[in-house]
Amino acid sequence: MSLNRLFFLSNSLKVGRRLIRPQIGQTRKEPLSHLQVQRSIKTNSRNLAYAKDLFLGKLNKDEVFPYPEITNEELEEINQFVVPVEKFFNEDVDSKRIDHEAKIPPETLNGLKELGLFGIQVPEDYGGLGLSNTMYARLGEIISLDGSIAVTLAAHQAIGLKGILIAGNEEQKAKYLPKLATGENVAAFCLTEPGSGSDAASIQTKATLTEDGTHYLLNGSKIWISNGGFADIMTVFARTEVVDKDGQKKDKISAFIVERAFGGITSGKPEDKLGIRGSNTCEVTFEDTKVPVENVIGEVGGGFKVAMNILNSGRFSMGSAGAGMIKKLIELTAEYACTRKQFNKKLSDFGMIQEKFATMALNAFVMESMAYLTAGMMDRPGLPDCSLEAAMVKVFSSDGGWVCVSEALQVLGGLGYTKNYPYERYLRDCRILLIFEGTNEILRMYIALTGMQYAGKVLTGKIKEMKSGNVGVAFEIMGNKLRQTLGRHQDLGLTGKDGVVHASLQDSAKQLEENVAFFSSTVEGLLYRFGKSIVDEQLILKRVADVLINMYAMTAVLSRSSRSISIGLRNHDHEVLLANTFCADAYFKNNLLMTQLQKNSPENNDANIKKIAQEVLEKRAYVCSHPLERTL
Amino acid sequence: MNSAHILLRGQCVRCLVPYVRTAVQQAVLFSGGLPHRPTLSSTCVQVHRAVHVSCRYNKNRTVPSAFKGNNEDAKKEKALVAHDDLFERAGKDAKSKATFNKVVDIFNHRDKRRRGHVEFIYAALKKMPEFGVERDITVYNKILDVFPKEVFVPRNYIQRMFYHYPRQQDCAVEVLEQMEGHGVMPNVETKVLLIQIFGEKSQPVRKYQRTTYWFPRFKHANPFPVPHQLPEDPVDLSRFSLARIANDRDAQVTVYQIPYTDLTETGEVIEEPHIVGIQSPDQQSLLAKHNPNRPVFVEGPYPLWLRKTCVYYYVLKADLVPPEEKVKEYIDPEMVGPEQSLYYPLWLDLDLQRDMGDDFSFKVENLEEGAVYAMCMAGQGDQATLARWISGLQETNPILGQIPTVFRLDSGPTELQDTMESQRPPGPDAEAEHGMESDRVTEEEHLGGQRVKQ
Repeated sequence: MSLNRLFFLSNSLKVGRRLIRPQIGQTRKEPLSHLQVQRSIKTNSRNLAYAKDLFLGKLNKDEVFPYPEITNEELEEINQFVVPVEKFFNEDVDSKRIDHEAKIPPETLNGLKELGLFGIQVPEDYGGLGLSNTMYARLGEIISLDGSIAVTLAAHQAIGLKGILIAGNEEQKAKYLPKLATGENVAAFCLTEPGSGSDAASIQTKATLTEDGTHYLLNGSKIWISNGGFADIMTVFARTEVVDKDGQKKDKISAFIVERAFGGITSGKPEDKLGIRGSNTCEVTFEDTKVPVENVIGEVGGGFKVAMNILNSGRFSMGSAGAGMIKKLIELTAEYACTRKQFNKKLSDFGMIQEKFATMALNAFVMESMAYLTAGMMDRPGLPDCSLEAAMVKVFSSDGGWVCVSEALQVLGGLGYTKNYPYERYLRDCRILLIFEGTNEILRMYIALTGMQYAGKVLTGKIKEMKSGNVGVAFEIMGNKLRQTLGRHQDLGLTGKDGVVHASLQDSAKQLEENVAFFSSTVEGLLYRFGKSIVDEQLILKRVADVLINMYAMTAVLSRSSRSISIGLRNHDHEVLLANTFCADAYFKNNLLMTQLQKNSPENNDANIKKIAQEVLEKRAYVCSHPLERTL
Repeated sequence: MNSAHILLRGQCVRCLVPYVRTAVQQAVLFSGGLPHRPTLSSTCVQVHRAVHVSCRYNKNRTVPSAFKGNNEDAKKEKALVAHDDLFERAGKDAKSKATFNKVVDIFNHRDKRRRGHVEFIYAALKKMPEFGVERDITVYNKILDVFPKEVFVPRNYIQRMFYHYPRQQDCAVEVLEQMEGHGVMPNVETKVLLIQIFGEKSQPVRKYQRTTYWFPRFKHANPFPVPHQLPEDPVDLSRFSLARIANDRDAQVTVYQIPYTDLTETGEVIEEPHIVGIQSPDQQSLLAKHNPNRPVFVEGPYPLWLRKTCVYYYVLKADLVPPEEKVKEYIDPEMVGPEQSLYYPLWLDLDLQRDMGDDFSFKVENLEEGAVYAMCMAGQGDQATLARWISGLQETNPILGQIPTVFRLDSGPTELQDTMESQRPPGPDAEAEHGMESDRVTEEEHLGGQRVKQ
């Protein structure tokens, strides 16, 4: 328990430090000293970060090799959980009915509660299962078989009660977690407002302190709240007036635990959605809801960090969820492809159908590898900040999931399009993955900018010297560039004497190393060219993020399959095949993207793309005349 | 000489081609005139030549008359006047396309040889706008049809070289010029007529070709086209004009008052003018941030030309905020800084600027001007009317109640003043209650404005 708390403390401080960093030396002396105290606490924590260092051309192989493992006891434990859950989902969950009726039947919910799935990560002291991130990811694979249930559970525990779990004090935990863990109370996360998606500044819900100072009065409305219709406990973010050091009054965001029993809470009509129809999404309105002051999560005015921590921590599991879904789809479609005959040939004999299965297998393999690598990193003592990695897992798996479900549907052709088969439901359900928990576009920005900020801090001095005409630095960079263009062979220690990658994956490892080296010089070039104005170059940042995601995916598959060969897992040769295929593919994609990144916007088509969009948006319509129009 | 003969012959045969091609159309378009129907044979060419000679004779008779002497000139003028008369007489009852066509028909039937057709065409061109047919392609074709067919077609290379029948060609070019001026695109019928009248490579046909080459290319050159037919209703016209000036798709047009006539108890007729305003959300938020101690101004009238119509508009604007008064907006680093977005940093904490190589922006010197908060068009440009607009604006912009409003109205165009004089309501007593209220508000605002001025 106390260990858990320590984890949280160091984690939140880390994020806190990142938040405060820009202001250090300007106004806040106090947090700085505060921070240093905290730093001394976590002397043994590792400060290494894998993805960020890729921006500098460093490949911290210790971080990702060998592939994280769980102990035999843990494996046994998780298998104990997995079997009944799998049985429940196969036998007692009627996804078709849930989708049709847009409601999860109470008996299904009760079953989930009995299995303890409402408190997977709640510590055992509070009546939860107390599972690690890795084990949570494993359960996520099965839960994802029904989108509605997965989203309901995620809204409950990945974001709904997470605030209490990671930032709440002892009393709050003791009061709320036990009931939440058993599912007696359901949680919801209320952040989004009509006028504010990811824009914290435009949150309008207000919490005003009552005159006696014991309660806050909450006023405002929140939209798209999963579980909003029946949640008993809600994490609500609202503006509060805070008096800062200078005695000025400022509006800052605070997080509150709000019980439905506090009164003044009304839920709107459930939204009629494209997918995940069984999950409840609605508007929640607060009208003079009286919230006691002790229900503030963290400190007053510190809600922003809480929100960010919650959002950053929940994403990694989407990789395993996507993989679980695709694995199921492969089974379903393979059955069909191997029995259906066309032109006296089985469907599975056609190259284009085979390609679809290869795509699905590759995607499932990569998602799985990334998800468990990230979960393993998060489970390590010291808790390095894995939000970047988690975001990458989310982006890759949601994009890949959409493609794979579409391909699976395509295998069945017209049949897949009907409601007789579950494919259309999967297609609808998995579309939400690209949208919620931060849209993929926003996460790509997060991935690229976080890395750019990190690399920029390190490289600023060097770039400035180069700009001021330091010949030595310029020559050094020229030399690096020359070496790359000539040889393009970089040795970052993945193979060879101290190599961590198995010999059968040597080529792929070389490709990764080459990409990493190329990437670092590209990043340097970008920082030289754009400096801090790169924030506005979204098309460039998108490519940077894509390259990084590909490189992280390559790392994950290399690490995983090296381990599999080394310990002799069943079918490890297939893993090697998948890993090599994926790496070769990703290598080419990365090279293309980075070549584009080194060009100016008129050359890599970015300028044109922007211009097209501008002209269309100016007219707010398709611009061209109809091809049948005449002037003569 | 033999070779020259062959050449001549060849030319004649070539001359024939358009005739053969348009033989059918000739039959339709050209009822009188030519006494023969050419066919493809050498004898026919001979016959043709004979006719041609007679044509020349004709020309020799007419052309000098047009160019010689004052006396002759006066005669020509007289002829023009005569044609004008024809139109005047026809247009007495009704000036319409039908009457115009009738005049052309009368001319066509009056004289088989179509004497004085050039003068007639010039007169017709001049009269077209009067009859409202200046944008009608069928009328232009009808005018071109007045030319006698085939007589002006050059028969040999010498004629072709030396601008055959220049007056007629110039006249036809003038017709095409006028079409161009009014943006009328010649059609296939025009082409057929011109070829019949002047031959394949004559000046009018070349003019036709140039027009058809460039016209379609420039047809949509104006990104802000004005329709030929402007809305009749003043409210609709104001709506259109304001949207055109604002050029902002978010801008909201509000009709503050629709025009109506009212009869008071004393029997006086009151005509209330229309008031139509436009304001965009951006302007609204700008106005909300306006410092209430500084006045806003109602300025105008400013002209806006829509083809031949001129309309006037008024703006509600503020003076440029002096730099020392600019309120520095408080920026909360948590709200606007890197952490405004819950998901990604909005700016990077780096000490690096954009390199010159990737800076594709132009250096533009921006000159700041006072903000324009709203625009309106009204049937009358007097202060009372505009004050009604301001009070209408106040409903969506409550801050206007605190800001002094100063009217800086120019005397404006005379015709506007005239209408103002005649349509001005007799007094505030006769006005509706709402009007009275708004008047009072205006006065107060005006006073406030003066106070600030002092």
